[in-house]
Amino acid sequence: MRALVIDDSRAMRRIVGSILTDLGFEVREAGDGRQALDALEAGGKEGWVPDLCCIDWNMPVMDGLQFVSAARANPGYRQVTLMMVTTESETGQIVKALAAGAHEYLIKPFTADAMRDKLAMLGLLPEGVAL
Amino acid sequence: MTLTATSFDWVRQLVHRESAIVLQPGKEYLVEARLLPMAQQRGLAGVSELVEAVRTRPDPASTRRIVEALTTNETSWFRDGDPFMALTGTVLPQLLAARGPNERLNIWSAASSSGQEPYTIAMLLSDAMPDAPNRVSITATDLSREMVERTRAGRFSQLEINRGLPAPMLVRHFTRAGNGWEISPTLRKMVHASECNLAVPFPRMGPFDVVYLRNVLIYFDLATKQAILQRVRQIMRPDGWLFLGAAETTLGVDDNWERVVVGRGSAYRPRKGN
Amino acid sequence: MSTPISELLDAETVQSIADEVWPTLVGDGEAFVPLPVAPPAEAVSAWVDIRGPWNGSVVLTCAPATAAALTESVLMTRPPTVVDDEDVKDALGELANVLGGNIKSVLPGESRLGLPQIGSAPPTGSLDDVCRVAGQWRGQFLTITVQGAAVAPHAERIEEKPL
Repeated sequence: MRALVIDDSRAMRRIVGSILTDLGFEVREAGDGRQALDALEAGGKEGWVPDLCCIDWNMPVMDGLQFVSAARANPGYRQVTLMMVTTESETGQIVKALAAGAHEYLIKPFTADAMRDKLAMLGLLPEGVAL
Repeated sequence: MTLTATSFDWVRQLVHRESAIVLQPGKEYLVEARLLPMAQQRGLAGVSELVEAVRTRPDPASTRRIVEALTTNETSWFRDGDPFMALTGTVLPQLLAARGPNERLNIWSAASSSGQEPYTIAMLLSDAMPDAPNRVSITATDLSREMVERTRAGRFSQLEINRGLPAPMLVRHFTRAGNGWEISPTLRKMVHASECNLAVPFPRMGPFDVVYLRNVLIYFDLATKQAILQRVRQIMRPDGWLFLGAAETTLGVDDNWERVVVGRGSAYRPRKGN
Repeated sequence: MSTPISELLDAETVQSIADEVWPTLVGDGEAFVPLPVAPPAEAVSAWVDIRGPWNGSVVLTCAPATAAALTESVLMTRPPTVVDDEDVKDALGELANVLGGNIKSVLPGESRLGLPQIGSAPPTGSLDDVCRVAGQWRGQFLTITVQGAAVAPHAERIEEKPL
């Protein structure tokens, strides 16, 4: 399983990345939506397509919502699960993100178990992950 | 720090056995913090004294309270998935076919804790049936008054709603309440919460079409488990469905149930001819 | 919106948010305790702006050494690894971000969160539109302040007037 962690905070990228690595994911990072799209394109050329993108909302250059819209507009990324991981948590914002094409939404602060629950629900947990 | 290594170890094993949650070494402070109120309530000097008391003379209520205190915020929605997917996938169509058009469907969540289970059921049925609020009644019981009140309130923290609740369901069925979230009034009306001690004869309830008795039998000895299962069967419809915890079974406990494979899990139905 | 923050949000709500943020972001067993301690000689602040029906900022303030310790805890670094200014800006900023987002969700209406900022002086806010929780982390000074955006220039001048 592969994941792309998209967050302008290096701390957050490290935290999310380490949770995902513990769950058996191969993790790459991007610091904003633009970098993420570039990473997807570059990755695609070498056969690296993520199963999951964890996406922060507020980022410079291109924010998470814009990234979700752009990713969903590309049929080549149809199989990629898009999960917002953000502190933005007004009902209207969650609705907006889901409407833009995000598949799931994890609100900060979150625990490793909460991330795990979401991934299990999405069928993304690799087999045989120890409890 | 009053907690001894032996006490911590006993608690750690108890919690893992009853909830699969792992308390790593280093979490002694958490056990200390979460159990101190319980120790103080009993007039004990500290958490180690509480643990000693419960360890030497275990009773289901105390062990349950200890596990609950340490697993707050850890309860998830749609726990284990299958028993809830089975509700809409398999059980509901059969029930609707077997019951009259105006007959109420009665569901019992028999260890409802802070309410995630009964409201998971309410959300699923409400999404599957437009007339669910009128047709479905969900009885939610728990040993603890505090838990019953929590279920009645239908309010959950940010951390709690992050646990296995699909985001589309969150926005569909909850509204913001301060920093937390509150279940919609429609769904709240579907759930009737009350106290119930499973180990003694039940108050008048049922008959139920579906019973969720999940991860609570483990607190009881064999004789009590058998008594509980018998009492449950007596207030179930003959064609009803019983869901136990993922690692639980009636096998070796009570012969009066037939195990049925549903999806990737199991359900138990009263054995015919009894 | 002319309603001051004190009518929209109270210290108890801020505390309950901190109670969720600290163990998850700063580390297991870590807590922000609402017992004031003497302020340090030097302070650093990280904040996020909220723009919407209510305009203001959520500000986290502590001593530079506390900021470094917080960063080490958030990043889970161990000696001999040392955190640098970039790390502090990042970790403290993220803390302000998560606090800010949760506080914002309590406010009515649609609001947006700005990107985190950090500096040696907190931003100027409106004097009478403040919810401040003075407290500590590991015994060290730390405050969480929710303050309305400074409105009139004359309000700022009054604040700068020497005593």
